[in-house]
Amino acid sequence: MGLLKKKDSTSGRSSTSPCADLRNAYHNCFNKWYSEKFVKGQWDKEECVAEWQKYRACLTENLDGKLLTRILEVDGELNPTKQAASKESS
Amino acid sequence: MVKAYRQEHVYKHPWERVSAASWRKFADPENKRILSHILEVDTLNRKLDTDTGKLHTTRALTIHAPGPWFLHRIIGQDICHCVESTVVDGKSRSMQLTTKNISLQKFIEVEERIRYDPHPENPSAWTVCSQETSIRIKPLSALASMAEKVEQKCAEKFMQNSVKGREVMERICKYMEAESAPI
Repeated sequence: MGLLKKKDSTSGRSSTSPCADLRNAYHNCFNKWYSEKFVKGQWDKEECVAEWQKYRACLTENLDGKLLTRILEVDGELNPTKQAASKESS
Repeated sequence: MVKAYRQEHVYKHPWERVSAASWRKFADPENKRILSHILEVDTLNRKLDTDTGKLHTTRALTIHAPGPWFLHRIIGQDICHCVESTVVDGKSRSMQLTTKNISLQKFIEVEERIRYDPHPENPSAWTVCSQETSIRIKPLSALASMAEKVEQKCAEKFMQNSVKGREVMERICKYMEAESAPI
């Protein structure tokens, strides 16, 4: 039903995905970093690396491969326009 | 057949807070009830350019979009996957999000672009959000004959959801403001 490969049919509508805990840990870390550091100009270092790696590993293991490929394709299509747009604004 | 809709909204909060709220919009449990059409949000990619302060992020959104019965009959599914690609430029203080559906693409393409920029009249305290949505029904699809009706329904839904999204954003901003206020 979601992005992840089908598990049991009772898996409901959300947050039952096997990566939910790792996802929350990463997003919490990211949000904290974003508002406490990034927006204050402290972007010289990637943070939440451990959280990201664990979460990413879980997604890779559980994600539907075809869907992931498609997502990354579309992301590639979206990216050039974005770069053009940000040039405009600078 | 492309329809485009533009909306603008001014947040009386600084860009730093509004862009942070945007990241939290789909994740805070409190908001999940209101934005119940968002089922899952996963971050698939992230890239930080440590020299320029540009942050690229790709997220996958799983959306519950049941739509009217006549659509459901044709499409036969009500879960839609979307890709959201975001660039935050920390130096120039801008955030741009582009969201596009990857499911149902043979019927319809919806692209939503949102920008958060400092408000020109009050750049340190206010933020302007501009949102552009384009809806394109594929000309030879089963939906083509009722394109107008579908577009209208789709646009209505988008407007409803963007109002909800705005309410949630305002709430998170307020909450973050209170959090950061000196005691």
